[in-house]
Amino acid sequence: MNGGFRQPSILPGFGLTLGFTTFFLSAIVLLPLAALVVKATSMGWRDFIEVLTDPRAVASYRLSFGAALLAALINSVFGFVIAWTLVRYDFPGRKLIDALIDMPFALPTAVSGIALTAVFAENGWIGQYLAQLGIQVAYTWIGVVVALTLIGLPFVVRSVQPALLEVQHDLEDAAETLGAGRFYIFRRIILPTILPALLTGFTLAFARAVGEYGSVIFIAGNLPLKTEITPLLIVIKLEQFEYAAAAALGFIMLIMSFAMLLSINLLQAWGRRRLTASGR
Amino acid sequence: MSITLDQVTKRYQGAPVVNDVSLEVAEGEFFVLLGPSGSGKSTLLRAIAGLTGVDHGRIALHGKDVTHISARHRGVGLVFQNYALFKHMTVAENIEFALRVRRMKAAERRARRKELLRLVALEGMDDRLPTQLSGGQQQRVAVARALAHKPQVLLLDEPFGALDAKIREELRRTIRQVQRELNITTVLVTHDQEEAFALADRIGVMNLGRLLETGKPHELYATPATRFVATFLGAANLLLARQTADGIRFGAAPVDARATEKLDGMREHEVVAVVRPEEIELAPTRDKLRTNYIGSGTIDEIVFTGALERMRVRLANGGVGSQLSTSANDAPAILEVTRTQHEQRHFPLTPGQAVAIGVRRIHVLPTPLSSYTACAADKAGAERLASHPFLVELASRMKTRIVTRVEPALGSLDGQRADKPISGVAVIAARADAAAQVEWLLENGAAEVLVLPTHIAPPQRVLIHWLDEGARRPTLAVAASLLRHVPAEAVYVGIMPENANDSQRPFGVRTLLDARSEAQAVHGLEMRTELRFGAAAEELQRQLNAEPDQMLILGVSDLAQFRATCATLLSAATSASLMVVYQPTERRGTT
Repeated sequence: MNGGFRQPSILPGFGLTLGFTTFFLSAIVLLPLAALVVKATSMGWRDFIEVLTDPRAVASYRLSFGAALLAALINSVFGFVIAWTLVRYDFPGRKLIDALIDMPFALPTAVSGIALTAVFAENGWIGQYLAQLGIQVAYTWIGVVVALTLIGLPFVVRSVQPALLEVQHDLEDAAETLGAGRFYIFRRIILPTILPALLTGFTLAFARAVGEYGSVIFIAGNLPLKTEITPLLIVIKLEQFEYAAAAALGFIMLIMSFAMLLSINLLQAWGRRRLTASGR
Repeated sequence: MSITLDQVTKRYQGAPVVNDVSLEVAEGEFFVLLGPSGSGKSTLLRAIAGLTGVDHGRIALHGKDVTHISARHRGVGLVFQNYALFKHMTVAENIEFALRVRRMKAAERRARRKELLRLVALEGMDDRLPTQLSGGQQQRVAVARALAHKPQVLLLDEPFGALDAKIREELRRTIRQVQRELNITTVLVTHDQEEAFALADRIGVMNLGRLLETGKPHELYATPATRFVATFLGAANLLLARQTADGIRFGAAPVDARATEKLDGMREHEVVAVVRPEEIELAPTRDKLRTNYIGSGTIDEIVFTGALERMRVRLANGGVGSQLSTSANDAPAILEVTRTQHEQRHFPLTPGQAVAIGVRRIHVLPTPLSSYTACAADKAGAERLASHPFLVELASRMKTRIVTRVEPALGSLDGQRADKPISGVAVIAARADAAAQVEWLLENGAAEVLVLPTHIAPPQRVLIHWLDEGARRPTLAVAASLLRHVPAEAVYVGIMPENANDSQRPFGVRTLLDARSEAQAVHGLEMRTELRFGAAAEELQRQLNAEPDQMLILGVSDLAQFRATCATLLSAATSASLMVVYQPTERRGTT
């Protein structure tokens, strides 16, 4: 096969597709990000550091990333359980539940924020009982986690579902005849097999939660230093016409998100290499 | 016994997938379960492993009842068709899995692993991942893994299914060696008869959920008891012949009497003969044959397959040949023949050439059901009956033919005799005077009559009963033969008079047990038993009415008694099919 006939691929040539890829990435992703960096660097180094290390900003990073991480973890556990139920059991209404999972995708996030506030506010359906127990959800960091959990759930479920479908019953049967109990089979066979998919789901849910704005601002109460997330802080800066400060905060979010996503991706790649080594 | 199965039944949505299977596998034996896909063999294997529960019956390993013990605690090793290796674990971790579960020390685990890897010839592969191994190597790892915890029995579910021919043979040899070295009782499931022959100490053939026959490979091949086994194990020509006082005849041509059974005091009747393709001799003319001439024919097609030449020979019409019929339903009878290189050199053949046909060896199947004859008073009725869906399905499963026969006497029943005796199973449509028709057919040579209602589904349950002991043997034989082709439950119904006293009741129970053990021992048929009290015909009628889609096999040896008790049963039975088996009383003495 040197220089002669080449099997054409379904999409037009490599040159063309690569061109589109670079163009799209540049126009839609890289250029705006570059503009953000340029804008941020337009202020002096001192100002830059000052904006970033302002206690109000630091508190907002903690809340934004902490709550996103916690929400993604919660989603990993319950998203897995939901996916398991949907894949392994057949029950009336399964299709309906399966469809409902995607609702947070379609709902404007502001709507979910309002809905959550209605339910979890002190006089809301659930909030009133939690209040009796001394737990306040709305207008605290717990509310932020709840909102981020809601919007992140479909990412985990949809990532894990196909992976679970591929776990062969034979593997479990084999482990069982070898003497393994249910929990052992789950821990040693099923979990390692679906771990890459679960990590993907976790990453997606986490990334979505970090960038979330609409649903959080309703339920968080937005008290500076307490329940104020970084995206909100950026909006506040914008409303005060401090464009450079907003860009600086945006820049630091960008750096932190990129670092976390990259490390998760590397972890995943390592896991996948272990599973499908030497390309068979 | 290493594995004992006792009447194991597994139903799936009501229909039995494994139907009353009883089996004993001896210590250290290599047993192969052979059957087409959907025959229930894999389900049976999973039941032995404990991965599938059973609905009825008992499973014991080394004398210990494990029916209700989970797979986890059964201590069997199971190998799957798709290997089912844990892909995120190395070869070593895979093999040590069972040992790790049992918390064995690392050093002991290591030693055991090394030993197993040597056994399956994979030394030094410890740290590979399954994805880095070829299919054959993966399956070796799976075998080693299944053996790690020293299981009592090794179960293999189509282990070579995903491998190509060469690797398959290599792995086959390894598995046989491992099995011999460890002397471990092994059950292998396959649909490949060549594999079964190569590996098995003993083969069990399954079809439609039933275990049809078990035996050593060469015995099953040479003397199968059923059509299914005859045709599933290698190629076979099934021919209809007549058993006469001087032996087997194909039409007018007698066949070597040595190869046949004695007539057994029965009337001359139709039998099913198995002729293996390699037992047929071809010669240019009749007198050049060194074996019994059975007819002439022309070569239809020749396929060269290396060592053997495979051909199809079309039997000539007219003369002796026309009376020879293969079991295929349509007219042109075709024989499958194979010849060795040696035979080819002596008598080279080309398609279209005329030959004389002889057989070296035939084997007569012990089945009483040879072919079906749809009988009616007019041609239209007979043809309608011959195309009855259940009858057509039955005949195609039995690989036999349905012929039609017009008997005007069936309409009038005025005592007129048939011109020539009715051969095979006579089939009539259910109608009010069916009892009289059955009687007429039995008097005119039929040994079995099948009464078919117009709309009837294949039976889910087959009831077996005989009116008196004289009919027991043929009834059981017919039931066994029929149930090999129908996926239904067999139930023997013993009926005692309502007023039976306490001293008679144990006798009734004994009859049931005797019937069951005779069915098992002589015919290889597993059946349930039920004891009822009351008048026979009424009790059977009640049973047939209780559920739809049933069939009754009724043994009769006294026609007068039959007429007296069963006329109403036959005229009323429109929801069940009915097989009447007749054994004349006066001839019983000679058996």
